[in-house]
Amino acid sequence: MAMRPALLSAGATALLLAGTGATLSYFEEALPTSLNPLFASSMVDFRAQDLVFDRLWYHDAITNELKSRVVDKWEIANGGAGIKITLKDGLKWHDGKQVTAKDLCFTVNAMLDKRTPSPMAEGYREVLKGCETQGQLTALVSFTKIYHNPRDRLGFAILPESAFEGTFITPDLSFSSQPKGSGPFKGSRGRRGVTFDAFANVHHAPQIAQLGLQEGGDPIVQVKTIINNGVQGIIAVPPAYRPEVSSSDEVALKSYDLRSWWFIAVNPNSPAMADKRVRQALNLLIDRTELRQLSIGAKPGEQNSPCEFISGPFVQSSPYYNRGVAVSERSDKAKARQLLTAAGLTEVGGRWHNKGTPIDLKIGMLAPLNNEAPDLLTQIGNQLGAGGFAREESRISVDEWNRKVVTGQATNYDLLVGKWSFGIVEDVNDLFHTRAGKEGKKNIFNYSNPQVDAVLDDFSKARTDTAAQDAYHKLHTLMADELPYLFLWKLDTRSAWRTEVRNNIITPYFYFTEIDGWRFGSGK
Amino acid sequence: MRWWVRPLVRLVAALLLPVAVPAIITLLIWALPGDPASIICPPESCGGTEALAARWHLDEGPWGFFSQWMMGALSGDFGNSWRVLQGGSVAELLAEAAPNTVMLIGLALLPVILGAVGAASGLIPRKVDGPLYLIGLVPALVLALVVAAVVQLNFGAGSSDPEQLARLLGGALVLGFADGAFSGAVSGVRGLFESENRQRYVSIAILRGETPLSNTLPNVAAALAGQLRARTLHLLSGTVVVEVVLRINGLGDLLWGGALRQDFAVVLPVATGFALLSAFLLLVQALVEILASVHIRRSPSLSVVAP
Repeated sequence: MAMRPALLSAGATALLLAGTGATLSYFEEALPTSLNPLFASSMVDFRAQDLVFDRLWYHDAITNELKSRVVDKWEIANGGAGIKITLKDGLKWHDGKQVTAKDLCFTVNAMLDKRTPSPMAEGYREVLKGCETQGQLTALVSFTKIYHNPRDRLGFAILPESAFEGTFITPDLSFSSQPKGSGPFKGSRGRRGVTFDAFANVHHAPQIAQLGLQEGGDPIVQVKTIINNGVQGIIAVPPAYRPEVSSSDEVALKSYDLRSWWFIAVNPNSPAMADKRVRQALNLLIDRTELRQLSIGAKPGEQNSPCEFISGPFVQSSPYYNRGVAVSERSDKAKARQLLTAAGLTEVGGRWHNKGTPIDLKIGMLAPLNNEAPDLLTQIGNQLGAGGFAREESRISVDEWNRKVVTGQATNYDLLVGKWSFGIVEDVNDLFHTRAGKEGKKNIFNYSNPQVDAVLDDFSKARTDTAAQDAYHKLHTLMADELPYLFLWKLDTRSAWRTEVRNNIITPYFYFTEIDGWRFGSGK
Repeated sequence: MRWWVRPLVRLVAALLLPVAVPAIITLLIWALPGDPASIICPPESCGGTEALAARWHLDEGPWGFFSQWMMGALSGDFGNSWRVLQGGSVAELLAEAAPNTVMLIGLALLPVILGAVGAASGLIPRKVDGPLYLIGLVPALVLALVVAAVVQLNFGAGSSDPEQLARLLGGALVLGFADGAFSGAVSGVRGLFESENRQRYVSIAILRGETPLSNTLPNVAAALAGQLRARTLHLLSGTVVVEVVLRINGLGDLLWGGALRQDFAVVLPVATGFALLSAFLLLVQALVEILASVHIRRSPSLSVVAP
């Protein structure tokens, strides 16, 4: 048996050597902030880290089946409050050392170390209780409670114990730019890009010798560069540039399922919008069809539109999406006027007033969204302006968004335009639960509704998929009535890859999970 | 004023500058809303903000932070970047960026110095002042954008050596000519020599068969050094714009990136680096002033003989 890993590894190396040795370069939306999985703060980070590390469990890109490349066997333990995991033998870190159960427990302990300043670890602290090794390759991971889908909760990347001095891990360690993982590529981040060198392992046999990540910049430059073979891939092509890419025989557009949806969060603590009728009226003033056309360029009735309207906090393909709730595609100003009047607002000189004071909406938008939907903020402002609301628009940097908006401190805004992205587990509890203790950590305007909290708690307590779906279907209905968010759409994400890049299966959310199968150039 | 006062003031300023700049930045850290630790790890959604702040000495107040940073810097330890290149060694970032900035300024100084020499020697005629002035009116930002577009169109968005060289040469061209760098050097030096040439001693020297330059140069050396320092400082500040727009991996770009992301582990040493360059220029100016003064005072004094 000991020969098997060695043979596999040798075979993988041979395949690697048979490759072309060429570098596959691609444009990312930005450079990754960190290559340490504990400090992932954007989709760019997740994608880059997926090349370097192995997640304990992941979902198959095609079958959606829960799989693991590192776990040999597992069994539920402690009556469901734990899971006993045996790792595969022969797995190696990029420095050649063996991946063991100690590394798995180190990762869990690092996340449980309260000094580790990682929002991601903070999330796992609610799920994980501890980890103890039971031999070289076996570990018992304990949960804080019984989960109906325990393996779904173990999607974290394993870190090597030998790369750290202790479980207190900070973002400024050199590991963040020169990480050591067990994934298919060894990563190294520089000032202008990231280089990933293939690393053959028992469980990985990458066919591409090197990947080069570059910061994308202007979309038009990205498109011209890929057409001229300056790079071989673009992770996200904005809808407006897709026709040009499609017209090239040498470049193909590929769908990237990001499960992300766009919204306008409404501040229910703003005096004018505390009444849900005002929020409903705003929802009716937004003409999504027009917005979509003016900002994204998608025409009404267009087939294969990149933009799919939603009526709640899930994408339409989600099992949690409640199809009984209709989407609002067009504005209805008459009905909006009725609702505003019923809520006690008065219209003076074409402007809505609340208790005699004119309403001036302060609208913010996460700045990078403008690349995907140019002028969206202005168009939203225009529609609300036409509906009788004065407005003040501003773009919010990613930093400010993370620091103020996500943490519920941007209360000086009335409306915030943003986008949430999800993996397979579309857990939206943090977005809508009352902000208290560990709950509601991403509740933008500190929205609070006991009825909504009860439904979210039902989801947390669900032991079956059906129970979880029921809870979120109810939530969807409630959200469509309460409208702490005006739900806009799911804008599909398309990547562009040159045709020399073959068999490039794109995994939802993490993107590169199936990179082992990708081919480039004259390699097999 | 005694001749040695000015150089002395410059020497003192040169000594204070590398300490004063990081001290002011440290105060700015405390004056700014929020802190870098809470950007990476907002206390509302993350449990380790305090530990992170302690690791970066942000919990020790401005003086504690400053003294810790100074001690590290004096021993050559600048730590790792907090955000610009998270986990990357700041010393390595500086070592990578500094040569590019020095080369950029060096190349940009070439036309400035040539312009000054041309003006001093009369090779650049006065009639070209008009066109030069017009060129100098173009802001560095605008010219940098034009050069960036040209480089982008010719070399794409890669980071190959020829592309980097093109960016560097383009950047030097922008710095050397935009914002009146070249025209200012020409008109400034010409004005200086013209006013000096009107002095009586120059006329006497000409009557004695000597060249005006050999007579005026010691007298204008201090002023020339001052002008050169001012022009170099002007180029230094321009490097931030040029490096950012042209994506040149230099100190200016590093400073901009660090400031934008509140990465003070990067901002402090880079700003101190700029302060050191500025201090060096002050020292050079002081030295030239001292040498010129000594030279003038060593000139033979004529004994007055009664007729």
